[in-house]
Amino acid sequence: MHLPLALQPAAGSGSQDVLAVANNPVLWTCVAGVFGVIIIQSVIFLKAARRAAPAVDLSPAEIRTSFRSGAVSAIGPSLAVSLVAVALLGLFGAPAVLSRIGLIGSAAYDVSAAGIAAGSMGAKLGDASYTQSVFAVAFFAMSIGGAMWMLATLILTPVLRRGDAKIRAINPMAMAIVPAAALIGAFACLGLSELPKSGIHVLAFLVSAAVMGLCLLLARMLRKSWLREWGLGFAILGALGAAYLAAGPAVGL
Amino acid sequence: MTYTTTAPASGGTAMADFNRTTSRWGQITMIAGLLISVAGPLYLAFASGLDIAPAQLWVAFAAVAATFGIIWIVEPLTYYPVLGPAAMYQAFMIGNISNKLLPAALIAQTNIGAKPGSKRAELAAVIAICGAAAVHLVSLAVFVGLLGSWLISAIPSSLLLVIRLYVLPAVLGAVLVQAIVSMKQPRTTVIALVVSAVVVFGLVPLAPSLTMVSTAITVLGTILLAWFFRAKTAAPGAPVHIE
Repeated sequence: MHLPLALQPAAGSGSQDVLAVANNPVLWTCVAGVFGVIIIQSVIFLKAARRAAPAVDLSPAEIRTSFRSGAVSAIGPSLAVSLVAVALLGLFGAPAVLSRIGLIGSAAYDVSAAGIAAGSMGAKLGDASYTQSVFAVAFFAMSIGGAMWMLATLILTPVLRRGDAKIRAINPMAMAIVPAAALIGAFACLGLSELPKSGIHVLAFLVSAAVMGLCLLLARMLRKSWLREWGLGFAILGALGAAYLAAGPAVGL
Repeated sequence: MTYTTTAPASGGTAMADFNRTTSRWGQITMIAGLLISVAGPLYLAFASGLDIAPAQLWVAFAAVAATFGIIWIVEPLTYYPVLGPAAMYQAFMIGNISNKLLPAALIAQTNIGAKPGSKRAELAAVIAICGAAAVHLVSLAVFVGLLGSWLISAIPSSLLLVIRLYVLPAVLGAVLVQAIVSMKQPRTTVIALVVSAVVVFGLVPLAPSLTMVSTAITVLGTILLAWFFRAKTAAPGAPVHIE
């Protein structure tokens, strides 16, 4: 007897209380570990830069200016990322969101990876088939994706530092078309796959796309680049607001 | 800023020392970050009492690799000339590169009048990314870790249900528009939309077992068709990243 996941009794690893496992203390420890590694790396790099600075005519005042410029210019984007991260807390829990969307990865890739992973188990994120096991596999898929990016960086950086001609000899046309085709194809397929689920999914998708389009258009017309940074956050809020109004009666509001 | 042929010699021993330190510690910290970030989900899958077979993880990995495998390699390649070797180890661990770290580095270089591609510019970029990382860690800890977690526990469960059900289309609609606009390839966009529509509304309803590989099929199909129907005069070089 094989019931579809959605009809199985909620028990054991079939439990739908995803946030219970998502907030496991071990995962919080890993988040603290990633934060710690980034802090240690920043301190080591800062010290190394300060040691090398006199040799290239970089004064202590200019070091302070560089650090402050970097910090100030990161305030807006960091808050924009935080808004997106908060919207995803209910789906993935704080540890996964902090380590995946906040750091290392980004909302677009990690939400996609999670959706693909859930699909590989015949489940969908957020609905009745989204069990603790599905969350664990989705979280693994997001993390291994980020790990592959780091692995590629670890392998390619020393190669590129040597100025290896072979890599730069890759056909520039292929370098332009293939990645763009992969990205747009992936996001288009994932996005359209949301549409058959329900009318409210269609509404949320369209509102989100419209808000983002509007933000990008206004950013270009008014030359306000912060609109580009905040576009995803605004789009999610707008789409969830529309879904909330439309779904109100169904969820007993 | 171009670092494609960085040779440590010209900056003297101080820059050689900087390159050695950032390269060694960049690798050590990145390997540590890599291991810690994979340890969490592996613990969850195998040691926390959930019943997950290794095969399920492999299938999920294969599905994600089929979709993003190319991007894993292409992104570091396209960022290297802009970031330089040292900042590569920072950027790919901290994330959110194009919308946060690159602007931070550029503004710092402008503010101290560093010529792009110079050693001064390289150091300023590394220092600026340290500043950006500090702000980012604090805002994540405060707004997501503390305030966000409180918010999730405080909002009514009906609202949480709506978020869980519909946050996926709410993210993907915007992400698709962002990808289309930032890639600036109308031809590829049309092909991608047609292929994904055929797969999602044609192929998957006919053969539901293909659902789990639908993204991979779309990606492969889009790449092949976009290459086959490429414009003969396409200007290459639009950077490949959206965040």
